[in-house]
Amino acid sequence: MNDAVWVLTLAAAVSAGTPLVFAAVGEILAERSGVLNLGVEGMMLLGAVTAFLAADASGSPLVGLLAGTLAGGGLALVHAFLSVTMRANQIVSGLALVIFGTGLATFLGNPIEGDPLKPGVTNFRIPGLAEIPVLGKILFDQDPLVYVSWVVVALAAFYLTRTRTGLALRACGESPETADAMGLSVARLRYAHVIIGGLLAGAGGAYQILARVPSWSGAGTTAGIGWIALALVVFAAWRPWRALLGAYLFGAALAANFALQAAGVNIIPAEFLSMLPYLLTILVLVALSASSARKRLGAPAALGVPYAREER
Amino acid sequence: MQVRLERRLETRRGHRALVTVLSVVAALLLGAVFLSLTGKSPLAVYTEMFRAAFLSFYGITDSLAVAIPLILTGLAAAVAFRMQLYNIGAEGQLYVGAILGSWAALALTPGLPNPLAIIIVFIFGAVGGALWILPPALARAWLGTSEIITTLLLNFVALYLMRYLIYGSASYWRDPTTTNFPQGKPIPEEAFLPVVTLTRVHLGLAVALLAAVVLWVLLSRTRFGYDVRVVGDSPGAARYAGISVRRTIIIVMLTSGALAGLAGAGEVAGIAHTLDPNGLAVNFGYTGIIVAALARSNPFGVVAVAILLGGLQNAGTALQSIPGGAGVPVEVSYMLQGAILLCALAGELFIRYRLRVRRGLPDELIEGTKP
Amino acid sequence: MPDAPPAVEARAVSKAFPGVIANARVDLSVERGEVHAILGENGAGKSTLASILAGLYRPDEGEVRIDGEPVHFGSPRDALARGVGMVYQHFRLVERFTVAENVVLGDPRQPMLLSTRRAEKTVAELGEKYGLPVHPRARVGNLSVGEQQRVEIVKMLYRGADVLILDEPTAVLTPQESENLFETVNAMAAEGKSVIFISHKLSEVLAVSHHVTVMRDGHVVARAETALSDRRSLARAMVGRDVDLSVQRAEAAPGEPLLELENLNAEGEGDTVPLRDVSLKVRAGEVVGVAGVAGNGQRSLAEVAAGMRTPSSGRVVVRGVDTTGKGPKAARRAGLAYVPEDRLGTGLAPSLSISENLLLTHPRPFFLKRKEMEGTAREAIEQFGIRAPGPDAATRGLSGGNAQKALLARELSDGPEVIIVASPTRGLDVGATQAVREILDKRRRAGCAVLLISEDLDEVRSLSDRILVLYEGRIVYETIGEDADVEDLGLAMAGSDTGGH
Repeated sequence: MNDAVWVLTLAAAVSAGTPLVFAAVGEILAERSGVLNLGVEGMMLLGAVTAFLAADASGSPLVGLLAGTLAGGGLALVHAFLSVTMRANQIVSGLALVIFGTGLATFLGNPIEGDPLKPGVTNFRIPGLAEIPVLGKILFDQDPLVYVSWVVVALAAFYLTRTRTGLALRACGESPETADAMGLSVARLRYAHVIIGGLLAGAGGAYQILARVPSWSGAGTTAGIGWIALALVVFAAWRPWRALLGAYLFGAALAANFALQAAGVNIIPAEFLSMLPYLLTILVLVALSASSARKRLGAPAALGVPYAREER
Repeated sequence: MQVRLERRLETRRGHRALVTVLSVVAALLLGAVFLSLTGKSPLAVYTEMFRAAFLSFYGITDSLAVAIPLILTGLAAAVAFRMQLYNIGAEGQLYVGAILGSWAALALTPGLPNPLAIIIVFIFGAVGGALWILPPALARAWLGTSEIITTLLLNFVALYLMRYLIYGSASYWRDPTTTNFPQGKPIPEEAFLPVVTLTRVHLGLAVALLAAVVLWVLLSRTRFGYDVRVVGDSPGAARYAGISVRRTIIIVMLTSGALAGLAGAGEVAGIAHTLDPNGLAVNFGYTGIIVAALARSNPFGVVAVAILLGGLQNAGTALQSIPGGAGVPVEVSYMLQGAILLCALAGELFIRYRLRVRRGLPDELIEGTKP
Repeated sequence: MPDAPPAVEARAVSKAFPGVIANARVDLSVERGEVHAILGENGAGKSTLASILAGLYRPDEGEVRIDGEPVHFGSPRDALARGVGMVYQHFRLVERFTVAENVVLGDPRQPMLLSTRRAEKTVAELGEKYGLPVHPRARVGNLSVGEQQRVEIVKMLYRGADVLILDEPTAVLTPQESENLFETVNAMAAEGKSVIFISHKLSEVLAVSHHVTVMRDGHVVARAETALSDRRSLARAMVGRDVDLSVQRAEAAPGEPLLELENLNAEGEGDTVPLRDVSLKVRAGEVVGVAGVAGNGQRSLAEVAAGMRTPSSGRVVVRGVDTTGKGPKAARRAGLAYVPEDRLGTGLAPSLSISENLLLTHPRPFFLKRKEMEGTAREAIEQFGIRAPGPDAATRGLSGGNAQKALLARELSDGPEVIIVASPTRGLDVGATQAVREILDKRRRAGCAVLLISEDLDEVRSLSDRILVLYEGRIVYETIGEDADVEDLGLAMAGSDTGGH
């Protein structure tokens, strides 16, 4: 069957947005606990290279995914240690994470630069649902990790709003003094959620290499989508479902390049199409701050502030 | 008995230096772990790197040449840090500085005397960097949009722009005689920066050092620097004192962008003598952030750290190109730079706090406070 | 039961912070069903002791006992488990959460899946029982300070606290709200709970407590049964000497109006409350006090008058010059000085040195004159008795009193004729309070117009020639200082219509 170009483009947008879904939901959890982790790009890249190496060695994309996820979590642990235990400036620590993660990933990936990855993920048509006209092709003829990302979003949203730990985690991000006075361990909650954030960013990076790009190409493998994920968190007002929606929007911008070329539009040079997602992200950020200048929409009140009890 | 952290009432200079040295050592150890994991001998790699960077005449001069843009991008990051602003876009501002700088060299300088030509190239470079940071600066000052993500994302836009000019189109910058492997048009010799004979060290070094001195005077000895510190320390106090927070933000960010732009112009007029996208995209902007953080935003510290990290970067490049250079890719130097910053951040705690082991309070102390 | 062990006991508890000993071998013993006051000045170590009892701090030495049993609290969780709960001076509430969510936060009895229904019911019951009405589904950020305090108390009762520590609970309340609080406290004590009531206000301690422990400079200096002790001896124990806080005020002879606010309306910026049709005049040689509960437009009033904010309508006139919306520099040029409530962060830049801070509101040359700045700082340190390591010390390290003196030194140095001060003695000890009040009264006698904005009703009453009450951004009451009736002022502060003078 011949699907219309726009249907294929929307299907590509869902796939292109999926790494953003993982990374943004992870960052939402970390930020809701009060820790800003700007190191998403670094964690994604390290996740990607680890996923490549592990999948290549084992021949199993699942092993690759797990390894990439763990690598992202490992790097996040460094950030948790620096920002929670060592009370470092979270912005600088996050940037250091990006620089170190990028350096380490490109160093580890140097021997495999340009090699194609054989074990990738294949699409799985959900029986029944995939037959729905248009929507079926866009949403239900995807690889299994896309479906997993929906589960992650649903779980995260439920966890944040409906569980005891979710409430504790939000209290940590809003007012760590209160959480502490009510007998919660701010350090433990923050460690846990920064690491979960890293695991999800690692998974996003692994998805990028397993399903999106044909080969490892150094820092170009993720090409800044970690930063787009950070912007997405603001766009989503720290809510998982909105992040899913936003991720597909940005995914569409990422996929537009290919789609427009396929449609034979060549008035716009390829380089300008490649700029599109970044410019769109900037515009969205500026528009958001213009509309919510009075009250920051949903930003956790204690975001980015280290907490120490016996400070005088 | 218990152990805990206590905030220090004062910090000592010697202490800071010690912590910095220790963090470099820790970073090297961390790097050694990954080198061993990939089957390389850390000791051999480090000795080779040290030799390549600092033990020969060309090693030293090449390290200095790499340090030139790093001083400028380091200052760019530092001036913003002073006000708690984070310009992560020095990379892109450097590209745009190079684009405008090379345009000025190509279009304006033929036939001009060398000093005038150089001044023109640098001015255009600075303007290019400043223009590139203008939108994030305005958004930050008027709408409060976080400058971190906006300045960073513009790096990608600048990169694609630069690639478009050379690889993607028959632009003014592209050399029409090259078609299969497109290259930039060579700039006229009038705009070349003078170099120290036989080396790659160019006049940009003097510009960078001058920028460091001027910035130091400006930040620590003038009303402008005073305003910057007040705004950075507490915007509430600035508002109370009638210091315009917006104006200060814009001036500081434009200064930051201009410094990065100078670095780009210097690379064009001093090293490549053309707009060379691949030669420019070697993380000078990102490394500048590390330089500023390690130097704690002190302009003179920036110069020292830039030379150290310039050596590291130069060693990485050298190791890669030297046959039998231990088979180590240039990326090892980026990894080490990141590791140094991570370790320095961890060390920061010991500058601000001290570990206290306590077993109760001595009697004299308690008696001494008796009302 | 005289033989039962005390509900809470501190034995030789010590705690030091860098540079200060906050508690030096402090002993405290509180019985079941007792209201026990800890009286002391700001900085005497009361809050530190309370934080140790509540598990927030660990003592450096000494022991805490609950019901006679030694305990080692590692965190507030341990203290709560033993029935010790604390209501902090700065509330520990999540403003974005509802009352019920705040109440169940951190409760180990909560099931993994959140359910606030039971909590909502209990909150209503507890409110009924102890006279603490709160709506369980209200968002805490939308409640008044008085209501937030009730949430704090209910929260601790819900968690099963038998020992309740209240740290300076009346600082944010109107006199009537304080009365209600005392009733609640008595009801809890009657139920067999122990209440530790921390205050620096003697009259409250006398009104509410059974026993009192007096602290000074980290030491316990007196212990007494409240009914058997007199005001004078407690005050002497607290301060270490005889004190008379009432300023000997010369007869007011007001002259020309120097500060005139006419029909000011202003939008609320950030968290501040909008101003509505505020008009007032302050004459030469007169102190006009603006009373009110925190968060009723005080910040907006001060900032609009000081030129930091542009009103949407109305005029600000300083010594005949219209300075409306012309910025703080223009207001200063006209002869106005403003001492903000927020000393570190608005009045002073915390990480800048004393000598740098003394330049903050004065004209600055392009090249700073370091030597001259240092000289000025040395003079100010001497003249105002600022205790600091030197002119290069960051103001962050100064105590509240010394920071306030540095601030006053700067603001009064070029002889302003109009002075706006906001909560000038909040957090200061008696010595510093007295010094600051004397400085202000001296200026008044020298012919300055002083606008005093304060949430401390006693302070307003003792310093002002005229008193205005600000409620929700409006001036709702006006009276002459000497005639001020606490009851009427309190009602006005609570927004009841009293139809002032």
